[in-house]
Amino acid sequence: MTSSELPAWSEPFTNRRRDLHRPLRLKGVTREWAWGGSTGAGVRVGIIDSGLENAHPKLRGRVVENVTVEMTDDGPTVVPDGPVDMFGHGTACGDIILSLAPDVELVSIRVLGADLRGKGTAFAAGLEWAIEQNIQVCNLSLSSKSESLYPVFHDLADRAYFQSTALISAANNVPAPSYPSLFSSVFSVAAHAEPDPWRIYYNPAPPVEFGAWGVDVPIAWKDGGSTVATGNSFAAPHVAGLVALILSKHPGLSPFEVKAILASVADNPGRRHPWRHRATAP
Amino acid sequence: MDAAIAALVAASRRSAVGRRLQGDVETRLLQSIVDATVRLFDAEAASIALFEPDPDRLEFRVAAGEQGAGAIGLSVPPTQGIAGFVYSTGQALALSDVANDPRFNRDAAEQTGYVPRSIAAAPLLDEHGTQGVLQVLDKHSSPTFSLRDMELLAVFARQATVAIAATRVQRDTARLLRSVLVDLAPDLTEEQADAAVSAATQRLDGEDDAFWGLVDQIARLRGLTDRETSLVGAILETVAAHAERTQRGRIGR
Repeated sequence: MTSSELPAWSEPFTNRRRDLHRPLRLKGVTREWAWGGSTGAGVRVGIIDSGLENAHPKLRGRVVENVTVEMTDDGPTVVPDGPVDMFGHGTACGDIILSLAPDVELVSIRVLGADLRGKGTAFAAGLEWAIEQNIQVCNLSLSSKSESLYPVFHDLADRAYFQSTALISAANNVPAPSYPSLFSSVFSVAAHAEPDPWRIYYNPAPPVEFGAWGVDVPIAWKDGGSTVATGNSFAAPHVAGLVALILSKHPGLSPFEVKAILASVADNPGRRHPWRHRATAP
Repeated sequence: MDAAIAALVAASRRSAVGRRLQGDVETRLLQSIVDATVRLFDAEAASIALFEPDPDRLEFRVAAGEQGAGAIGLSVPPTQGIAGFVYSTGQALALSDVANDPRFNRDAAEQTGYVPRSIAAAPLLDEHGTQGVLQVLDKHSSPTFSLRDMELLAVFARQATVAIAATRVQRDTARLLRSVLVDLAPDLTEEQADAAVSAATQRLDGEDDAFWGLVDQIARLRGLTDRETSLVGAILETVAAHAERTQRGRIGR
């Protein structure tokens, strides 16, 4: 990919929305059917990020476990972690997910930390642990550029898909391969700019399949604080929250089925009732 | 083998001379990129921090804008702050209302003397990973950064990455020689490659001080007018002719 082909993954969700025209809607699949009445109860969401500040008021005591990856001589090892967030970013993602699905249980898998060497390996080890724990939804607001880890992430993405773990991955706006966000089995998400947490778009021209709110999002931040943030990494947790709502109401759905539901209830302009699925809280 | 080492020494020498004559191309290229960034965004400041190992840190190499100067030379741990997050994750990110974050506020003020209200940062990413971070503080026209801003920032970050990749090879003669040697002779062990590289580059800058003094003097001539340049040329010609005559005289005797 050359520099002139810089991927502007948000483009279809902002300036070229007519390209999103979808005549197909699955009959009977409405937002009310998909997640009406759901609060995310019974669903565990793994946040593979900078940690979670359990005591942050916005996280409302919903964090059930904190682990981190330690690099030892025997390779990466997952160990218990303190209730801390290195940057504030993991806590921000948790806040966004809870704003949509207030009753999910959050699991912090901290893969960003003091030791930057082998951080791709730590990320892969954290993801593998989450899959082994059968965590139903994983929010990944980071990705790896390492060619050597390509097969590792590919294998992990397949394992997740086959056991129905939904991986929600923030797209990366850089002209370089980035894993696992460009794999077909993950929910790859870029930002749109409309201030509505319930508004999503389905993009029929992948690799980025979903658009969610990611511009000027009010979020929780480090040390009990808050701020306003922009980036694809704040769009992904909106989709993670919706996926958790759907899985809470319809346990056992595969990622493929969940994607089909999201595509069907998305706010894309369509032949049938355009804009009818406007934001409605469950 | 001696002839090969001699060739490597000559190549290293030429590269070192070129580097001394050109000045720090990398810094000048990066400076031009932050200059353009701060203008285009109409922002208070723009800066580029590059990752340096041992100890791991993000070092602010260039900055532009009214509030940029305080950042130059500053080092921050790559495990902290917005630059650290963007470096660690490779994800571009913007925050506004950062003044709400008392910790951020204090740290920034202590370090650079300037507390931004908003900040956008993009990773400098190439196929080897993240090399550093480009950040912009406080657009004058808006309290926040739009998607368009983020895309634009990614374009500038790409420019910076290309500049770094192009100049790093020049700057690091040892790395260049090593990679060429390994490409040409895949059977070479690590030790052999290291030995050849150090034989070619050892004391390169230290040896022959009079010669390097001359190179540095010539480097200072960059700003000469045409007349001055021809004057220097004439002087050098005279000196060279004199040296040749004395050398011939010595040989003839």
